[in-house]
Amino acid sequence: MSVNNNVAMENELPRPDVDEKVSGRAKFAADTFPQNVIYAKYVRFPYGAGKVTRSDVEAAKAVKGVLHVEVNAEKTAQYPGDQVGKIAAESLQALKDAEAALKLRFEQDKPRTEPMKFYEGVPEPKAEEKEALDKLFAEADAVIESTYTTQVQTHSCLEPHGCVIDYKSDGAKAWASTQGVMGWEDGLAGSSGHPASKVTVDATYVGGGFGSKFGMGAEGNLALEMSKKFSRPCRVVLDRREEHLDAGNRPGSIQYFKMAAKKDGTILGGRQHMASIVGFRPGGGGVAENWLQYYKSGKVVRTASDVTLNFAIPRAFRAPGHPQAAFAFEGMMDELAAKIGMDPLEFRQKNDTSDRRKKQYKIGAELIGWKDRKADGAGKGIIKTGYGVASASWFNSPGKCDADVDIHSSGEVEVRVGVQDIGTGTSAVVADVVADHLGLERATVTGKCGISDYPPGPASGGSFVTRTTAPALKDAAQNALDKLKKAVAAEWAVAESDVEYDKGTFRAGNEKLEWKEACQLINGKIAGKGSYTDKFFGEGNSDCVQFAKVEVDTETGNVRVKKIVAVHAMGKPVNRLTAENQVYGGVIQGVSYALFEDRLLDPHTGGMVNADFIGYKIAGAADIPEIIPVLDVEENDTGARSLGEPVTVPTSGAIANAVANAIGVRVYDLPMTPDRVLAALARKDKGATA
Amino acid sequence: MKAFDYAIAENRAGALAALKREYKPKAGGIDLLDMLKERIEKSEKVVAIHQVKDLKGISEENGALMILPLTTLREIGESDVVKKKFAALSDSCLEAASPQIREVASAGGNLLQRPRCWYFRSQEFNCLKKGGGQCFAVDGENRYHAIFGEGPCHIVHPSNLAPAFVAGRGEVKAVNAAGEERVIKADDFFVMPDRSLYAENVLEDDELLTAISFPKLPERSAFVAIKEKQGFDWPIASCAAALVDGKWNVVLGHVAPKPWRAAAAEELLAGVKEVDNELATRAAEAAVKDAEPMSRNEWRVALAKASVRRALLKASGKEWI
Repeated sequence: MSVNNNVAMENELPRPDVDEKVSGRAKFAADTFPQNVIYAKYVRFPYGAGKVTRSDVEAAKAVKGVLHVEVNAEKTAQYPGDQVGKIAAESLQALKDAEAALKLRFEQDKPRTEPMKFYEGVPEPKAEEKEALDKLFAEADAVIESTYTTQVQTHSCLEPHGCVIDYKSDGAKAWASTQGVMGWEDGLAGSSGHPASKVTVDATYVGGGFGSKFGMGAEGNLALEMSKKFSRPCRVVLDRREEHLDAGNRPGSIQYFKMAAKKDGTILGGRQHMASIVGFRPGGGGVAENWLQYYKSGKVVRTASDVTLNFAIPRAFRAPGHPQAAFAFEGMMDELAAKIGMDPLEFRQKNDTSDRRKKQYKIGAELIGWKDRKADGAGKGIIKTGYGVASASWFNSPGKCDADVDIHSSGEVEVRVGVQDIGTGTSAVVADVVADHLGLERATVTGKCGISDYPPGPASGGSFVTRTTAPALKDAAQNALDKLKKAVAAEWAVAESDVEYDKGTFRAGNEKLEWKEACQLINGKIAGKGSYTDKFFGEGNSDCVQFAKVEVDTETGNVRVKKIVAVHAMGKPVNRLTAENQVYGGVIQGVSYALFEDRLLDPHTGGMVNADFIGYKIAGAADIPEIIPVLDVEENDTGARSLGEPVTVPTSGAIANAVANAIGVRVYDLPMTPDRVLAALARKDKGATA
Repeated sequence: MKAFDYAIAENRAGALAALKREYKPKAGGIDLLDMLKERIEKSEKVVAIHQVKDLKGISEENGALMILPLTTLREIGESDVVKKKFAALSDSCLEAASPQIREVASAGGNLLQRPRCWYFRSQEFNCLKKGGGQCFAVDGENRYHAIFGEGPCHIVHPSNLAPAFVAGRGEVKAVNAAGEERVIKADDFFVMPDRSLYAENVLEDDELLTAISFPKLPERSAFVAIKEKQGFDWPIASCAAALVDGKWNVVLGHVAPKPWRAAAAEELLAGVKEVDNELATRAAEAAVKDAEPMSRNEWRVALAKASVRRALLKASGKEWI
């Protein structure tokens, strides 16, 4: 691979699809209504566990426009939203009327709904480990012992999961809301029996995925089944309730720490147990352990377990395992610092393993106003202000991408890559990398993505879209440019190596051609191809730190986040606006996770009581603080690195530390709702500290 | 949503005729459409009344304020007269919902809003209020349920306007299809579930609200809502305080099945015009003295208390911090 990996630009152009999106002209999967389309949905079990005992299938079939009804009375449902049947109909109205006409009756088993009831506690370590730990705790100047919990968060993508599939005997076309258009095509080809060449998936516009939209999923399977059965296009689009119940969630956690430190700030190590609150069967959880690399953590004995509840199994969710981990270990860090009487920032400076973050702490501290931070709980009055800090890092996992760049005789440049823009601004990156490489205005370049017929691009996961597509795009642009140079050289009857190119102008001796003139030499178009396969595109991890300033109303327990400073290394930003957008989005999701979002189950039936956007609270505009994104770009930074995930990792930990600083006592559970803050304040009255 | 017949009334007579034929009135449509979509409201007939012209407007005359029921929350909230003469009412409108909803939601609709209890709003819970056999909140997830009242249903009244309506000693005028008019005082308008399980007020199905009025404007008033989210969220406790005719009215919202008049606090404030922090604190304590929280909502007693203290101080022109 000979591509220079230095993405040099940092343009500030708005996304190319901004008009389509804000005007509503952009067609998402759910906006697609092919002629003759039918509708399908799953019949869902509403409670935690049990069976359908009665259903009026005949009445449902009798509803005008209903095509298909089946209910599976044999199945033992294991979570609210579990699929116990299928309906297909001519219209959404008929579909919903048929669902109501089923008049389902149920037999309920006792569901598992309360994590603490089923948490088995911290297992005894092995004898030799226990001995070492005892010795370590005996030697320590300070030991803290705490249990943190985090809630289950649903993905809550604004665009629901869904698709439209038009299956025909000689091929299939799908419009899908997905963060992996190539994988969707593979799935559709495999399930339909058609070769991939006869299958096309369109995901031009996607309204969020966050890790929950890989593959065809249950929605794709149902749409394909019904499209095949009725030889008509079929739509399956979830409603908001189904989104909460069966379209992805971040597992909760119960995290135990007993940690020891010396007075000088040295962390000796200790004991950590991480229990994941998962779905109806074990797996899908996991609390990240990266903090061991962030901080010199000493000898830590770690164990993990799962607590199963009657709920849908978790899916990958933006930095899986990380935000929940950060909330706990950053709290633990502050508790240790407080116990030895050291400023938490100084404690991190002493123990952080990254020089990059050590620099970032200084930038962030300045911008948040760390010097105004008072001792824990020292503020006067009802409203108390606090400051907190937390950190993270992200790695660069391997990825692959191919891309096409066509130069048309009109001078227009057309880029095609089978990656998708799930709301992150990838369509801007696709155009901008090529425009930058060719030294042309963005207006000359049309970037196209989201179609599975394009050269294969990466799925939107692992924060690797920009860092794998950018080099492939540059490679393809260079390949096309080389071909155009060749045509220019032939026109001038000079050697190719004598043709110089700079920002749209070709030169050789006295000869000169501007871009459009040169392109007139092309017969139709020139096709450039590019590819990239590697682990890294740019050196180093994406280190970051975030600082929070909060106000806590000690009379009502309300927490208001006033300001977040987010300092992120991410190589070179390709498009500064979209990069900053990622920071804003990650921080907002982190604020929402810290203060509001919580899946609530009825303790007796296991039904989710807040499966909407009223009871399931998400930060709104009025709850969002001033956010200062700092893209930490150093001279030696090359390439584009990870950004999409680390931006949401430290937020809740920084906020929790700020809350503890404000009120002088720690809130150990997410979300930090008024009841929990008031309970913490009551503990403080009995002598508890931050 | 079930398919439904949709009629548009152009005047009061048309609206009343439709109500007589068991049509459900739709003003802003915010709550009714939700209820229809959720299949909690089972009616198949809806009459739109938003075009009825003489049901919209704000007027002040001889120290009395009249608000016609189709006036939107935005119109009331931004009205100079209401802002100046009845701050609790304008604030309670501006605290409600979102800018988009305030633009279409009506004052009448807000007062008549059905409860947001998640058991009531979910089809799979056949709760008492829907004719079922139990209140699921009793030993269920009741963090947002009532901390006052003895059931058997434990909703909180959802209206943002209702506390100010009661504290301002308001009254409504209603007319039925037979042309019979009646005036109902705010204190008599809302009812507890032990008296009326299936409705939160005494308005009959064939009655139409024609006016919301305040015969005597308060000398002082304030509304304080304590919310988890600062944007679109129902309060978790609120209080409207209004000094009317020399007497303080202290009404808690979102903590009981109806706007909850804190009689003990009002007694404590007898004869006082301007409340200081010490008195406000005592009044707040008195207001929640008889609270009977459920298994998961005891924390909201402190919030109710805070809302009373703050509302009294705000109404008295003092900082609550």
